[in-house]
Amino acid sequence: MHALVRTFLLFAATALCPLTVSSHHSFPAQYDADKPITLSGYLIKLEWRNPHVYFYLEVETEDDWEEWAFEMGSPIAMERNGWNKNSVEVGDILEVSGSLARDGSNLVNASSVVLADSGRRLFAGSSQDEQTSR
Amino acid sequence: MRHPILFFCLTLCMSPALNAQLATPRFEDGTVNLGAMRGETGHWNTGVGNLSENFVEMDGAYLINPEEIDKVAPFRPWAKKIVQERLESLGRDDPHPRCMPNGGPRQFHTPWGMEIVHDRGQDRILIMSGGANRSWREIWMDGRAHPDLDDYTATFFGHSVGHWEGDTLLVDTVGFNERFWFARRPSGMPHTVQLHLMEKISRPDHDTLHYEVTIDDPGAYTRPWTASWDVPWSEFHMTEYFCQDNNVDLEHIVGPQ
Repeated sequence: MHALVRTFLLFAATALCPLTVSSHHSFPAQYDADKPITLSGYLIKLEWRNPHVYFYLEVETEDDWEEWAFEMGSPIAMERNGWNKNSVEVGDILEVSGSLARDGSNLVNASSVVLADSGRRLFAGSSQDEQTSR
Repeated sequence: MRHPILFFCLTLCMSPALNAQLATPRFEDGTVNLGAMRGETGHWNTGVGNLSENFVEMDGAYLINPEEIDKVAPFRPWAKKIVQERLESLGRDDPHPRCMPNGGPRQFHTPWGMEIVHDRGQDRILIMSGGANRSWREIWMDGRAHPDLDDYTATFFGHSVGHWEGDTLLVDTVGFNERFWFARRPSGMPHTVQLHLMEKISRPDHDTLHYEVTIDDPGAYTRPWTASWDVPWSEFHMTEYFCQDNNVDLEHIVGPQ
């Protein structure tokens, strides 16, 4: 097969097919897939580092604000699918869905991240997706 | 075709299969090259494969039907008990997220890749992990024997010697310590310092690495047993990854509550 065609096919497969990413720890040992949660808040910090991308939101409660942490896949998976550390900025409003941490802390394994202003879906993939990781 | 977009996507997802005709790369002397060719970018895309003697249906690292545990390996009773406990605790105590090295067959299915480098100057082959703590293993190809294990300090990757039989690399390894879980899938597979691995590594075509391992560990298993899987080629560069960088998960890995 011509190298250019082959390269295109591999690129297209990567770009269009469902993202698979890998967690370096057991997903079910840390998160409960039976406890889904959706939160919206202001981005206050992004850690584009291994083994997982983490970001932090200020989330408004009835009478206060509280900080929540969100775990994603590795930066490797994100970057191979076109995202990078500049895809979001501090102050952006994000709507995030995912699974709650088992230990009761303000920690979520994010499976869906949507930029509120544009409706653009970011980081389409969590560290839960790749079954090999579990 | 009722779902042409899905078909297109599936076709593209299977694109490595379309490349299966690409020939196994070789050095000028005809020896199989298990790594990237000169000027080529790529690595082995680990993260696949189960260390199991027979097929068992799995959800990631966990058996769908725990009753099938005896299909995985000929466990000694203590070994079966400990792997069941590790599966039931959802891998909570796995040394891997503590960023310990993944010796033995686990190196061949730990995510974020693996490069195989023929260090012909030193007559050895290096197997370098892209994931976990980015550690590496050496296989001596110079005909040396294993050291006297009474004087050898057991290690995560053990002492490996290899030779070619036709196009297959045969590797014999002893001298493992017990401070790692030697498989990712299933989670929690035990071994002892008696572990003796016999690996067969081949590259039937450019995009496929075939890995077969026979586990001889009379401390944990009643007889030698064999598992195998294929690792696909990825054309991405094996990007830097260190588990230790921002390993903030540990305090949250609590297992079943």
